[in-house]
Amino acid sequence: MSREALQVQQESLYPALHRLEYKKLLASNWELSETGREAKFYELTANGRAHLKAETENWKRLTDVVGLILKGTLEGFS
Amino acid sequence: MSWLQRLFARRRMERDLDKEIQFHVESQVSDKERSGISEIEARRLTRLEFGGTEQIKEDCRQSRGTMWLESLVQDVRYGLRQLRKSPGFTFIAILSLTLGIGANTAIFTLLNAILLRPLPVQKPSELLLFGDGQSQGSMSSIPDGNTKLFSYSFFRDFRQKDTSFSGIAAVDSSQSATKASIGGAAYQTAHVDLVSGSYFSVLGVPAFLGRTIGESDDGTDGAGPVAVASYSWFQRQFNGDPSALGKTIRIQSHDYTLVGVARPGFYGYTVGQSTDLWIPLSMEKAFSRPGWNGLGDRFFQSLYLIGRLKPGANPTQANAETNVLFKQILGSYLGPQPSQKHLDELAHASVQLTPGGRGVSYLRYAFSVPLEILMAIVALVLLIACANIANMLLARGVARTREVAMRMALGASRRRIVLQLLTESLLLAFLGAAAGVALAWKASAVLLSMATPGPNPVPLNLTPDMPVLGFTLGAAVITALLFGMLPAFQAAGLEFTPALKDGRGSSSSTTRGALARSLIVGQIALSVVLLVVAGLFVRSLINLSDVETGFDKHNVLIFSLDSSTANLPRGTPEEIRSVQLQEQIEDRVQNIPGVKADGFAFFTFNQGGWTDEVLFQGIPRTQSNGGEVFFNITGKGYFPTMGIQLIAGRLFNAQDTQMSNKVAVINETMARRFFPNGSAIGRRFGIGETPDHPGEKEVIGVVKDAKYSTLTEGTLMAAYFPCTQNPGFYGNFAVRYALGANRQEIVSRTRRAIAEVNSNILVNNVGSLEEQADGSIATQSLVARLSSFFGIIAVFLGCIGIYGLLSYSVARRTSEFGVRLALGARSHMLLWMILQECILLLVLGLALGVPVALSSTRILKSQLYELSPLDPTAISIAIAAVSVMTIAAAWLPARRATKIDPMQALRTE
Repeated sequence: MSREALQVQQESLYPALHRLEYKKLLASNWELSETGREAKFYELTANGRAHLKAETENWKRLTDVVGLILKGTLEGFS
Repeated sequence: MSWLQRLFARRRMERDLDKEIQFHVESQVSDKERSGISEIEARRLTRLEFGGTEQIKEDCRQSRGTMWLESLVQDVRYGLRQLRKSPGFTFIAILSLTLGIGANTAIFTLLNAILLRPLPVQKPSELLLFGDGQSQGSMSSIPDGNTKLFSYSFFRDFRQKDTSFSGIAAVDSSQSATKASIGGAAYQTAHVDLVSGSYFSVLGVPAFLGRTIGESDDGTDGAGPVAVASYSWFQRQFNGDPSALGKTIRIQSHDYTLVGVARPGFYGYTVGQSTDLWIPLSMEKAFSRPGWNGLGDRFFQSLYLIGRLKPGANPTQANAETNVLFKQILGSYLGPQPSQKHLDELAHASVQLTPGGRGVSYLRYAFSVPLEILMAIVALVLLIACANIANMLLARGVARTREVAMRMALGASRRRIVLQLLTESLLLAFLGAAAGVALAWKASAVLLSMATPGPNPVPLNLTPDMPVLGFTLGAAVITALLFGMLPAFQAAGLEFTPALKDGRGSSSSTTRGALARSLIVGQIALSVVLLVVAGLFVRSLINLSDVETGFDKHNVLIFSLDSSTANLPRGTPEEIRSVQLQEQIEDRVQNIPGVKADGFAFFTFNQGGWTDEVLFQGIPRTQSNGGEVFFNITGKGYFPTMGIQLIAGRLFNAQDTQMSNKVAVINETMARRFFPNGSAIGRRFGIGETPDHPGEKEVIGVVKDAKYSTLTEGTLMAAYFPCTQNPGFYGNFAVRYALGANRQEIVSRTRRAIAEVNSNILVNNVGSLEEQADGSIATQSLVARLSSFFGIIAVFLGCIGIYGLLSYSVARRTSEFGVRLALGARSHMLLWMILQECILLLVLGLALGVPVALSSTRILKSQLYELSPLDPTAISIAIAAVSVMTIAAAWLPARRATKIDPMQALRTE
């Protein structure tokens, strides 16, 4: 959330978290935060990790292909 | 957390969500504060960045996936609250739905039990019935056209052939209500079915206890003196004690061993009759019935045949194959040199295989058309009730505009509003349906007993089963959509019929007006249709009850006697003893004070009949005298008892004995058709198309025509023969008593007289001729009563609609009327102004309804007695009734408008 390059709209964050939790990709529990208040902490479940890995690989393949295409196109231009 | 847990942990989840969002906001605020922004500014910025917390929370709930269920529960609770808030509306809506859905369920329950429900047998869809099962009794000739009954010989020969059937079962077409005694105890009425040895195995009905009837019981004549009991009879008689097996049961005057009990829930192949005992067909001779010839006769056709198709066999092919074999087998029965007449008959005969999984039922024959008509009527009533509730909901919608607007402003989507309003409608419909099922449960039994009057109720299981509950559920959902859809869309401000679109949003009240008006036009149209139908049925019933019966139905008792336990001689010259017994009874009862006349008869009225052709000596057969003649066998006192008048000659008397000349009394029509110009007295005829005994009977008297089987029958030829010359015990004993005589006293003294003559002759039941006559038109009378009842309800609902609409419009226009009155309008002008609106609706409704009625009543033609389906009286009465009621409903609010005080009306503005 802190990186400027990827700014998740705050209003979409919580629905997204709840959706992932409902799909059992995230698990949550209430713990004390550093400020001493109770906060909800989310962590990936085993399912979630597997899903993340699969999706990451998908993404990587996609970017690789897109990269290749872009590279070819760019070379064509030069 | 499963979705169910989520549903119940709703409150905790809401708290957690609050806390989570709260935490996020707080940490954002404190982050910002740390970077030096004031708290107020930090909160403002956070809120700007974060957006509306309520929307985010709603999105979170949505993404949990169980939102629909949560909101459903919410909607139901909200809906219930709303309904409780307006008890008047809720009461009327649920009442009309209970009536509407209840009536539909009641009729469907009967329809299901009589027409649709399969028998509790194995794979009912594999069963095929030979013929359509709409015939009962016995036939002795090759039938013209479709054969419905078959002989035992045919059954045996057909089974030998290789066919598409894995098995064939046979059951006697007429179930006998006869007498049985267990271990020497008193005789009780029992319903006995004669069945083939293959019956239970082909139908796939296992024994609950012991064994069922098998092939070995049905091998040779008299081979199987065994009986299988139905589960309910076994429970009634033995309280379910298994030691009952092996006990001796005396049926009539023959002993049978109880070998088994059939599976619970199986009551035989005939729907609407419940079998107590099954015995093998091999026992037919021991089992007494007047005129029953037994198994040897190849043309004694009295059985239903039921075949079970081999797996994968084709019904069409089975049909073709059966017809070929049918002609082949029947052909072989005609002997080496069959007559041309028999060959012609055989060429025309055929068998039609019909689906056999639902059994056979005379109820089906009698009630299928009336039930379908009633089903259509109650469906229309439900439609009218829907229109009414829709109208009320539309009115409520206007009152709830603010509520809906508020909810939309708070972020509810239109979809959500529509769903919520539909949930309310569904709630109403389900509440109505639940009450309707309870109503239908009772009502269907009442309807059945009204349609089939008699001492014994028709055994038909009318407990709501899955198809009935499914039907009701479906009806409730469709009803809710019908009446809830329009008002819901209307309330949510969705335009969904461009034609009704006359302005958007704020002017929805005019749209509502147009909608409400079209609903009322529809209601008026449907009411007219229903009233026309009701009028036709009532007029037809009046015609029926005015039919000249030819007998006097008042003050006549009919005793139904059973002689099967008296062990009277049959088929021997000794049989005359039966007649002597009858004459002794007749004489004794004649002496009871108050009895005017009495006599035995084969049939009285509406009890079936014995028909055949006759041939007079020296009279050629013509078109007019060629028809069937209705025969009856009676005692001497029968004619005065029935009030059938003698026209010429004499009635039976003591001179007509077994030894004397065979005599007959015929009716006017028969005399006229055979002797248009001369007297029939002294002429002789024989029974049959080509009589075996030509000229056997001499006509000694001519009596007036009467109705014999039904009130609707045409003018029939009839001939009566004396009991003395046609010996046998005829179980119908008619007694005419004097006006004002004590009926109860006569019944008990007659019973005593019968017991004194022979204590083994049992009285099955006592009724009156009037009951028999009225019972024969019970269905018509029920249909007339029900259709009138529903017609009145329809008109009444329509009136409520008009009253509501006009009351509302008068209330809204109070100030307008005030101004008009202040400016000098006369009150009758106002009255007319409002009535005009109603008359317009009425005219539109009639313009729609009358053509529909005219074009649809043709379907009723077969159900109307001597009445055109376009009967002008019925149609005018319907139109007049609807018009008067509509205007009366409009009159009340219109009067109120004229009573407006202009000063007050203007002030309230």
